[in-house]
Amino acid sequence: MSLLDKQRIVAEPGFNRWLVPPAALAIHLSIGMAYGFSVFWLPLSKAIGITAPVECPADLSFFARIVATNCDWKLSMLGWMYTMFFVFLGSSAAIWGGWLEKVGPRRAGVVAAFCWGGGFFISAFGIKTHQIWLMWLGSGVIGGCGLGLGYISPVSTLIKWFPDRRGMATGMAIMGFGGGALIGSPLADMLMKKFASPTSVGVLETFLTMGTIYFVAMLCGAFGYRIPRPDWKPAGWVPKVQANAMVTTRHVDVHVAWRTPQFWLLWLVLTLNVSAGIGVIGMASPMIQEVFAGKLLGGAGTLAELTADQKGQVATIGAAFAALLSFFNIVGRFFWASTSDYIGRKRTYMIFFALGILLYASAPHAGRSGSIALFAGIFCIIISMYGGGFATIPAYLADMFGTQFVGAIHGRLLTAWSTAGILGPVLVNYIREYQIGHGVPNAQAYNTTMYILAGLLVAGFVCNLMVRPVADRYFMSEAELAAARGAK
Amino acid sequence: MPDQSEPPPSSASWIQVAIAWTLVGVPLLWGILTTFEKAAPLFR
Repeated sequence: MSLLDKQRIVAEPGFNRWLVPPAALAIHLSIGMAYGFSVFWLPLSKAIGITAPVECPADLSFFARIVATNCDWKLSMLGWMYTMFFVFLGSSAAIWGGWLEKVGPRRAGVVAAFCWGGGFFISAFGIKTHQIWLMWLGSGVIGGCGLGLGYISPVSTLIKWFPDRRGMATGMAIMGFGGGALIGSPLADMLMKKFASPTSVGVLETFLTMGTIYFVAMLCGAFGYRIPRPDWKPAGWVPKVQANAMVTTRHVDVHVAWRTPQFWLLWLVLTLNVSAGIGVIGMASPMIQEVFAGKLLGGAGTLAELTADQKGQVATIGAAFAALLSFFNIVGRFFWASTSDYIGRKRTYMIFFALGILLYASAPHAGRSGSIALFAGIFCIIISMYGGGFATIPAYLADMFGTQFVGAIHGRLLTAWSTAGILGPVLVNYIREYQIGHGVPNAQAYNTTMYILAGLLVAGFVCNLMVRPVADRYFMSEAELAAARGAK
Repeated sequence: MPDQSEPPPSSASWIQVAIAWTLVGVPLLWGILTTFEKAAPLFR
């Protein structure tokens, strides 16, 4: 039996299930650095020039730019990394989710470690040779695959260890994804400052260091995973006798789940919640600066009327606001997912959408009222529900489709995240440019955007409302379940 | 029915739990405190 085989990680009697969440957190805190990658953009845009970017000739073609070694990369080229992260996260989770269920979380976690950690090393080589396509390949494609596998690796396992508190269990892990950038961004900052020299912006060395740290951390997490025996239950826990139609005790095969209307309704629920949230995240910091401007400094005046020094101070406050929102993103993941254990998943998403509609539509009013606290408070709650949407969906899937293939089904559902990752920013940018192009002042251009994002949440509310128990014909028979468990 | 024969986790396992949670909790707490420092200008 290989070290990575699923049979090797069946827990011995007396195993403490509270050892599994930290293993999951080790992986999620590592891959969560994806959210913090923008800390590298500015230094990398000066990798050749060191103190200032060396512009490529204006007539240089795109393909020539990606292999040129004597001029710097544009920020827009580096920004493609984000798109690749979420496209490959969703794709790899969808493609290999079934493989994860078959081989178990240890093997999947080890592969994720090689992909995410190894991606840093390939990217470092790309920085060394100044070939951005190697960065796209290393971190974007291969790293993105590591993101997907790493993200879904603990879901099924945690739900099996914590049948009494599915939301809390997956919330703990997915909270880690939100927390990864809180650790990684300042760490990257410190390392780049340490390694920077007159001839280096310090990113190459930082990538090598962080790649090593994440590789080791993820291996520790992968080897920390254990799976319960099929008949295991928490001591003293008795499954509820009263049937809840929205929580099944049966299982739907991953190859069948995507054919159910419930899968696609939940896919839309996640896409719409995430699209709206991503749209808001991108706008929040510039919005607080443009809407309040001089009021942020205790005075008055629009952004255009401020001095350069004052604009710098306002930008610092904008960054502070972004930091506050990232904290609420993490808290929301744990809080809302845990709350769903008590009030139910469907009701939790009802709150996300109903309260979200109210808050998105109120944000322009809060801006006009001049209350910074109200404005900030609205966005903090909105972002908490954005995080909560990610963290609660695995438990929702387990309730609807059972636990046998929940990791794989979750993987397929994550294509919603990939879709939202493109839809959200495109929608927001398009609306904003359209309005500014038609003469709407910058500070007011956000208002229509917020109303349109609220409209996305109305659609999400309707989709969630339509979720009903899965029809009998989609569930596996006892024989099919036994065969599936035997094959695993 | 709950598994009556399952022995409860040992006290040594709870020490392992504390160590594991400390290993992930300390970096996370550091990240959160760093974030609060960055967020401080918003409250001044």
